[in-house]
Amino acid sequence: MSVLSQLNVIQVSGLSKRVSTLEGSLTILSDINFSVKSGESVAIVGASGSGKSTLLSLLAGLDVASNGEVHLDGDALSTLDEEDRARVRAEKIGFVFQSFMLVQSLTALENVMLPAELAGDHDAKIQAMELLNKVGLSHRLEHYPSQLSGGEQQRVAIARAFIGSPKILFADEPSANLDSKNGHLIETLLFDLNRQNGTTLILVTHDEQLAKQCQRIIHIEAGQLEKISEGVSANVG
Amino acid sequence: MWVKLAFKLFSREFRRGELTIIFAAIALAVLTVFSLSAITERISLNIAQKSSDFIAADRRLSSNHAFNEKVLTHAEQFGLETAKMLYFDSMLFANDELVLGSVKATTKTYPLRGKITIKDSLNGQSYEVSTGPKAGNVWLSEGLFYSLNVNVGDSVELGAGLFLVSRVLIKEPDAPFFSLSGNKRVLLNYQDIPMTKAVQPGSRVFHRLLFAGTEKQLTDYYTWLKPELKSNQNWEGIKDRQSPLGNNLDRAERFLLLAGLFGIMLAAVAMAVSAKRYCERQYDPVAMMKTLGGSRKVIRNIFLLHLSLVTTFSILAGLSIGFILQTIGADYLATFMGTELPQAGFRPWFLSTLIGLICALMFSLKPLLDLFDIPPLRVLRRHLGDTLALSRIHISLCLVTIFVLMWLFSGEIVTTLILFASTLLVIIILFVISRLLFSAGRRLGLRPGSSWSLAIATLQKRANANAIQLISFALAIKLMLFLVVLKNDIISDWQMQVPADAPNMFIINIGEQEVAPIKQFFQDNDIAHEDFYPVFSGRVDAVNGEKFARRVSKQEGEEKDEDAKEGVRREPNLTWLDLLPEGNEITEGKWFSNSDEIEVSVFEGWREILDVKLGDTITLLVNEQPIEAKVTSFRDVDWGTLKPNFVMILSPNIAGAVPVTYFSAAQLQDKHTKDISQLLQRYPTISMIDIKSQIEQAQSIIAQVSLAIGFVLSIVLISGALVLVSQVQASLAERMQEVVILRTLGAKGRLIKLATLYEFLLLGVIAGLVAAIVSDVALLVIQQQLFSIEGRLHPYIWLLGPASGAIFVSSIGYFMVASTMRQNTQGLLRKLL
Repeated sequence: MSVLSQLNVIQVSGLSKRVSTLEGSLTILSDINFSVKSGESVAIVGASGSGKSTLLSLLAGLDVASNGEVHLDGDALSTLDEEDRARVRAEKIGFVFQSFMLVQSLTALENVMLPAELAGDHDAKIQAMELLNKVGLSHRLEHYPSQLSGGEQQRVAIARAFIGSPKILFADEPSANLDSKNGHLIETLLFDLNRQNGTTLILVTHDEQLAKQCQRIIHIEAGQLEKISEGVSANVG
Repeated sequence: MWVKLAFKLFSREFRRGELTIIFAAIALAVLTVFSLSAITERISLNIAQKSSDFIAADRRLSSNHAFNEKVLTHAEQFGLETAKMLYFDSMLFANDELVLGSVKATTKTYPLRGKITIKDSLNGQSYEVSTGPKAGNVWLSEGLFYSLNVNVGDSVELGAGLFLVSRVLIKEPDAPFFSLSGNKRVLLNYQDIPMTKAVQPGSRVFHRLLFAGTEKQLTDYYTWLKPELKSNQNWEGIKDRQSPLGNNLDRAERFLLLAGLFGIMLAAVAMAVSAKRYCERQYDPVAMMKTLGGSRKVIRNIFLLHLSLVTTFSILAGLSIGFILQTIGADYLATFMGTELPQAGFRPWFLSTLIGLICALMFSLKPLLDLFDIPPLRVLRRHLGDTLALSRIHISLCLVTIFVLMWLFSGEIVTTLILFASTLLVIIILFVISRLLFSAGRRLGLRPGSSWSLAIATLQKRANANAIQLISFALAIKLMLFLVVLKNDIISDWQMQVPADAPNMFIINIGEQEVAPIKQFFQDNDIAHEDFYPVFSGRVDAVNGEKFARRVSKQEGEEKDEDAKEGVRREPNLTWLDLLPEGNEITEGKWFSNSDEIEVSVFEGWREILDVKLGDTITLLVNEQPIEAKVTSFRDVDWGTLKPNFVMILSPNIAGAVPVTYFSAAQLQDKHTKDISQLLQRYPTISMIDIKSQIEQAQSIIAQVSLAIGFVLSIVLISGALVLVSQVQASLAERMQEVVILRTLGAKGRLIKLATLYEFLLLGVIAGLVAAIVSDVALLVIQQQLFSIEGRLHPYIWLLGPASGAIFVSSIGYFMVASTMRQNTQGLLRKLL
C-alpha cells in the first residue's frame, strides 16, 4: 500500500454493482474510482435512482460489490465477512439516515448509547449525555422517539453518529424528511460536529446547495461517475 | 454488556406491549394444557372412583370355578386390597314359607369401592355401610321379608344353616341394573358358606374376586396374572363393562381430549401469529444494530435472552393462572356435586411446562433465524428482508410442532392424525374458498368514497393476508362451534338415556293371572307404568344340533361382551314380541314372518359368541325342555338406555309352549311407598327392583361430566378469542399506514371506522359461514365415528356461525381501530416513522 493510499481514508477502485432481476442482470454502478482523504467532506450527488445510495452502502460495508474494491481506513472490505465488516463499522463509522432509524423502545439517551453498548463500551452514558447536550437536547434525554419532533429525532441520530468518535461519518439525505428550517439546523450541526471532531464526512444528497457545503462533490449519473467537482468549502478546509 | 442492553430492551418492549401477545399466547397454551389436564385428571380420578363403585372394586376376576389361592396371595403381595365373593342359589325357609333366594356371600372387606345401603327395619330410614353382615347374620332384600313373612330380628333357614335376619338389604354397589334374577337377594358372610351346605361339588356357583389399588399396582398385578388366567376366568374393569356409564365415560374422556387438542391448536395458532409479528417488528432495530456494528452473536444473544425471559415469565404466569383456574373450577365442581376431587399428580405441571417450551421455541425459531439474517442494508432499502416472513419452512415447522404438541397431549396417534389431517384439509379448502370469494368481490361495483367500497377494496388488496386471516378466524370459530354443538349433543344424548320421567322401579316375576289386577292397581293409584313383557329364562344348549361350546377371551381389552358371556352361562332373559322394540335395529335378516316355525332374533353382539348365522337353529333349554328356534335376524341394541333389552327375542308363536312371568317398569314417587307395601303384601311372589338410586347416581355423574365439559369449553373459547384478537391486532398494525394516509388526506374518522367495521363484518360473516359448514360436516363424521351418537345436521349453527363471527370479529376490529382514531394524525405518523 502506497503512502498516498495510506492518507486516503477511503480508496475506491473499479467498483461495480450488478443485481439480478427477472429481466436479467442490471448494472447499478459501473467502474467507480475515487478516493477520500482523512477529514475531508465529500458529497455524492445524483438524481433519484442514479445509484448514489448503493454507492454509500458499498462504501460503508453494508453491501458487497460485484467487482472492484473499497479500502476503508486500510481494510479491504471485499476480503471481510459480514461479522468483520460489522466490526469495522463499529470501530470506524457513524451513520445518519433520512428516516432517523431510532430504536423506538429506547429513550434519546439510550439510542445515543446504543453503538457504544454494542461495542462493549462502559463509559457510554457520559459521552452520550455530552453529545446530546451538544445537539441541544439535554432536556430530552429520557424522551422516546415518538415523543420527539422530526428535527429532534434527527439530532438524536446525529449525536448517536458521533459517539465512539468515528473516523468516517456517512449521512444519507439527512435533511430530506425535515422542513427547511429544521433541515438547515441539522445541516449546520452536522458540519460543525464534523469539523470539531475532524471526521471524514460522506454525504449523500440530491440537494446541490447542501452538496456545495462539502469540499468535493462526486456526481453520479446512471451508475457512472460523471465528474468530481470542488465544493464551496474546498478552499476553507 | 449486551446482557444489560438485552434486559433494557426487553423491559421496554414488554412495557410497550410488543411482547404482550407472545406472552399471552405461551401463557394461554400452558394454562390450557395445565387446567385441562389437571381438571381432566382430577375428574377422571373421581369418575373412576365413582365408577369403581359400580363393580365395588377397581377390577374383578370372575369364574364359575374356584380360584387358586395364589391368585389372592399374589394380589396382596402387589399391595392390592382384595375381597372374595360367591354367588349361589339356595332355599330359604321361615314361617312355613319356602322361597328360592339368590345368595351373595362376601368377605368382610366387601365392598372395596362404594357402600351397601341398608335399613334397620322395613319402615326405617336407609343408610350406608362399608361392610356386609357379621357371621351368623343375613341381610335380606325387601321382597324376601314379604315372601317369608319375617321381620328384622327373626331367624331364617338358609340351606342347612339357621341365621339371624339383622338388616333390610336395599342396595349393593355392584347390583346389576337389569338383573332379573329377582328381588330375592340374600347377603351372607363368606365364613358362613359351609353352614348352609348349599355349595357341594357340582353345584352351580359363581366365584368372584375383587381388587382395588393404584393403576400401577393393578397393571403390575395384571401383568403377572395374565399368563396364569384360564379360559373360564375373566378379568374386567369398569371401562370393559357394557353399561351406560362405561359408554358415557368413554365419550366424556374423548370430549375432554378433543377439547384439549382444540385448545392447544388455537393457542399454537395464536403463538405462531404473534411470534412472527413480533420478529417482523424487530427487523428495523436489528438492521440498525447491525449497521451500528452489532455482531450477529450479540444480536442473537439479545433476542435469545428475550425469548428465554418471555418464555419463563409466560410459563410461570400460565402455570399460576392455570392452577388458580383449575382450583376454582375443581372447588366449584366439588361443591356443586357434593364430592371431593382427588389431587392431580405431577403430569399436568410437567406436560404444560414442556408444551410451553416447545411452543416458545418451535414457533419462534424460524422467525428468529430470519431476524438474525436481516441484512444491515435494510436501513437504506426499507423493504429488504420482508419476503422472508412468508417462509414455507416456517409453515412446515409450525405444522410439525402442532402435530407433536397434539400427540404429546393426547398420547393417541390415530386421533391426532385424524384431527390434524382433517384440519389441514379444512385449511386448504378455506384457502381456495377465500381466494375465490375475494376475487369474485372484484366484480362488485360500488360507489367510490363509500365505506362499503373502501372495505371491499381493502379486502381485495390484501387478498393473501386476508386469506390467512380468514383461515384463522374460520378455524377458531369452527373449533368453538364444533365443541359447543358437540357438548350440547352429548349432554342431550345422555339426558335422553336417563330422562327425568324414566321408570325407577322394575316389577318382575308377575304371574300371568296377576297382570290384569296389577295394571288395575297402578291405574287406581295413579302410577305411571310401561308395558308388561312376557319373560322366561333359557340356556343355549346347542347350535345346529351341536352342543354349544363357550369361548372366553383372556384379553382385558376384548371383554366388552363380558356381561353377554356371563349371560350365556347364567341363562339370559328371553321374551317374545310382535314388534321390534324401540332402540333396536335389524342389522341382518328380517323381523318375524308369520311362519309356523319358532323364530329368534339375536343381539348382534352374540353372533360371534354363539358363532351363529342366519338360518341356523338354536336349541334353548327352558326348564330343561328343549326348544328349537331358527335365527331369522340380528339386532343392534342400544345398551346405553335404561330400558329393558333382550339378547334374544322369540316369535310370538312360542306363547303357551313355555312357562312365563311378566315384567314391567313404573315410575314411583315418595307418596307411593305405602301403596307398594300393599302391593307386595297382596302379591308376595312378585319382586320389585328399585333403580332410583342407580338413576340418581348416573344422573349425578352426567351432571358432573357436563359441568366439566362446560368448564373445559370455556377455556377453549378463551383460546379461540385470543386467536381472533391476535389476528385482528396483527392486521391492525398493517393497516395503520393506510389509516394515517386516509386521515392525512382528510378522511373522516367515521368513514374509516365504518370501512373497518364492514371489512371485519364481511370477514367475520364469511369465516363464520365457512366454519359452520365445515363444523357441521365434521360433526356428522365425528359424532358417528368417535362418539357413537346418531349423526345429525344442526341448521341453527348455519346462522349462529356467521352471526357470531360477524359480531365478534367486527366488534374487536372496530374497537381497536376506534381507539387509534382518538389519537391525532401527527401522533399516528410519528408512530409509523
